[in-house]
Amino acid sequence: MERMAFIIQNETGLHARPAAVLMRLAKKFQSQIQLEKNGRSCNAKSIMGILSMGVGKEDELVITADGTDEIQAIEAIKELFDKGIS
Amino acid sequence: MFGVLNTKKNMILIAPMDGEVISLQDVPDTVFSQMMLGDGIAIKPSKGLVVSPCNGNVVQISHTNHAIGIETDEGAEVLIHIGIDTVELKGQGFERILEVGDRVNVGDALIKVDLDYIIAAGKSTITAIIVTNMEKVHKISKVTGICKRGESEIMKVEIKY
Repeated sequence: MERMAFIIQNETGLHARPAAVLMRLAKKFQSQIQLEKNGRSCNAKSIMGILSMGVGKEDELVITADGTDEIQAIEAIKELFDKGIS
Repeated sequence: MFGVLNTKKNMILIAPMDGEVISLQDVPDTVFSQMMLGDGIAIKPSKGLVVSPCNGNVVQISHTNHAIGIETDEGAEVLIHIGIDTVELKGQGFERILEVGDRVNVGDALIKVDLDYIIAAGKSTITAIIVTNMEKVHKISKVTGICKRGESEIMKVEIKY
């Protein structure tokens, strides 16, 4: 299992557009990918799951990937967040 | 195969707002027009009250009250996203009437929307009604044209068991 923590930078957090971008990226990987915030977790491949987390600016999000391509998944998500998912 | 099984069930969604139903492809935002969140329709609303299009449970309401997700009794996830880029209004113009976890039936009031405020703020009021767990959906039949809140059928969704 691979995990990485991110601090959300964009003003409006993980609303519809960034949630859709993250979900589409997560779906490219075979690994199970979870998002966790304050002890609550959701499936990153479910848009309703991501939106129900209510992730806002400056929230810390822990992303875990579990599967054969877990390293690539975390790296790709890290790149997405570094570029500014918006 | 071993006999013919009925592997689909139908779900009807009723208009959550008064207005005009348009195609999702005509919504001026690629998140919706390219069906990035799922498939469905959009409504150009004429009045600002949003009611439940289905029977189910409220699973999420954005903290800015501009988006609400319902898990229907048939197992579909329905997202109502009110307006375009309305998250930027930080809750102004939206008032939630229900809470996450509440049980809803068709026609129950969900969110009160100040359409004039949204328009004055330079945002579109076009509201998308989308099924987000498309892996569970076999087919969606849609309508277009004038719709009446709580009454008009807007979509028929065939759900896989």
